[in-house]
Amino acid sequence: MQNGVVRVSQSAIRNLPTPVRSRVDPADVVVPDGYTVEALVVGLSFPTALCFSDDGTLFFAEGGSTWPTRPYMPPRIWKMAPGGLPELVAVEQLGGPRGLAWRDGKLYVSIKGGYYMRVARHDLKTGDREVVIDKVPSGGWHEPGGPLFGPHDGLMYFGQGSVGLNGTVMPAGYTVDLAKHPHVHDVPGQDVKLSGNNVWGRDPRTPYPYYVQTGPFRPFGTPARKGEVVKGQTFCNTCVMRARPDGRDPELLAWGIRNPFGLAFSPEGELYASDNDFEEKGDRAIAEDPDRIWHIRNARQPHGSVGTPDWYGYPDLCADGLPVWDDSHVPQRGAPPTPLLEEHPPWAGPAAYLFEPHTGLGKLDFCASDAFGHKGELFVCQFGTYAPLNSPRPEHLRRGFQVVRVDLKAKRHVPFMHNRHQGPASAAAGNGGLERPVDCRFSPDGKSLYVLDFGNNTASDSYVVAYAHTGVLWRITKQ
Amino acid sequence: MSATDTGAPTTGPILMELDPKAWETQLDRVEAWLNAVVTTQTAFRKLVEDTLPGVEKPNLHLYLSEILDTARRHEQAAGDLFRHIGRQPGTGRQAMGVLMGKAHEVVADLEGLAGGAAGPWRDLRQMVIANMDAMGAFAVAEQLGLALGIHGLRDAAFPVVMEKSTQHLVLQELMLEMASMAILYREKL
Repeated sequence: MQNGVVRVSQSAIRNLPTPVRSRVDPADVVVPDGYTVEALVVGLSFPTALCFSDDGTLFFAEGGSTWPTRPYMPPRIWKMAPGGLPELVAVEQLGGPRGLAWRDGKLYVSIKGGYYMRVARHDLKTGDREVVIDKVPSGGWHEPGGPLFGPHDGLMYFGQGSVGLNGTVMPAGYTVDLAKHPHVHDVPGQDVKLSGNNVWGRDPRTPYPYYVQTGPFRPFGTPARKGEVVKGQTFCNTCVMRARPDGRDPELLAWGIRNPFGLAFSPEGELYASDNDFEEKGDRAIAEDPDRIWHIRNARQPHGSVGTPDWYGYPDLCADGLPVWDDSHVPQRGAPPTPLLEEHPPWAGPAAYLFEPHTGLGKLDFCASDAFGHKGELFVCQFGTYAPLNSPRPEHLRRGFQVVRVDLKAKRHVPFMHNRHQGPASAAAGNGGLERPVDCRFSPDGKSLYVLDFGNNTASDSYVVAYAHTGVLWRITKQ
Repeated sequence: MSATDTGAPTTGPILMELDPKAWETQLDRVEAWLNAVVTTQTAFRKLVEDTLPGVEKPNLHLYLSEILDTARRHEQAAGDLFRHIGRQPGTGRQAMGVLMGKAHEVVADLEGLAGGAAGPWRDLRQMVIANMDAMGAFAVAEQLGLALGIHGLRDAAFPVVMEKSTQHLVLQELMLEMASMAILYREKL
């Protein structure tokens, strides 16, 4: 048994030593009639990902350095056989795991940290670890997506969100990017011509807070020139890509997706990506951009046949297809945006689904089983807003913090797992419910939905804090 | 929930590093760090306290008096951190801080002599370093509060870090402003 991993009574989790989340209680979580909720594992530190192997063994990961980047906790990967206790599989490096997938006896892990996102492959029999994907530009604001494997082609799909906050690297969250990665910048997926508009901001790295200009696809403090062309790269960010499981033959499918954190294949074999809206703050503030699910149509094309990747709007379009400088997206605070690109590639929208702004989408999974009900529907983690940090609007303060099920064909969604009040459990004194659902996955037998709850992660006007040892793994089962 | 012969449950939720034994081990480690917070803050306070009488310029005296008042308050705050982990401040840490303060002064003297600087400017320069040390100690306490889900510890340490960060700018500006007077003109503060 791993040190510090113990099974306890139900009453023990209603009296935890962590004052910021001293109570975890399934009775405080609301699910539809006919379903039960259990808390399986309590006390996780910044959990980010889960998956199952074919035999029903559950794997889950603790993210190490997450949101915000400190404190850094052990970036651990655990496995848990049905009815067993968690056993440590691996400890990652330089940041931490963000996604897990099981394929042909091996565990694939996407990892954030340093200037590049990586996918590592673990052989649990031999203990070998090899990096199969490297050099995807990262080191900034957003996250890796995937990995997951195409049910139709066996290829590995993965992504990486933007480095820039709202189109350029900005000082707003310098601990995330600039402090550790002063040279970081976004990379486009195809050649783009720049408008020459830049974003003014104070440089937090310097002895004096210099006022500097930053262009898109440029390091902080480096302006763009009008008409300048930035070459597109296969290994770009804001991307969804695929490759063979050993990393060979990488292919770019899509770019311009701000944060493709969640990837899922529908039962029909269509690929969808969750994505987060622009933020209404800082030196290029954008208001009322919907959270969204994108359909990645190029995933249907034969491997190696995608000549030009689809473009989904970053850095200039909101998810409704309107430019970020449209009247409907004028910010209440921060500097209003200007166009960063001289010409836009064809837009790959509209989105497969739009949510209200600032629900904070996490990962997602399709229900493929009649045993659970709602077969064919998409279950989406709404991690929850970072307002008032990311939005000054009071109506955004309690958005998200739930799991919703989405009927993509009927274009509607309903809450599936949530608290009795709006918002996280910590918004109501003594509540033992859900904080921030980050990942969800159906068990291989199709009877249960496992939901990973990141834990207490509280935003203020100026910053966000995250408390380790407050994450929970929940299980919802059809009675 | 069922149980084995040993009394350990065989079903029910699993705790990760939150059982009493694991938790107490972590609190012991936090306590050791909080002692370091007291030591570094006491050393800083002592340095300011010893420097102040030698400062003649009224504006500098005013700046440093304010910093000393704050430093005393922060020293109290350092001691108060312990209650958030259910412990008491250790004895002897303040005495060690006083000794450290004096040790810093010796170092400052040597470095100051090497630079040819005169008067309390040497101590002012040392204050910049000592404040950074104490500020870092509080910031680490904040991180430990975050790491263990103890929001009281975090909430108590963070405002101190904020205030020390602001005062760090004051100290740094005073040190840089007065460097030319101290080194080139051998002027006292």
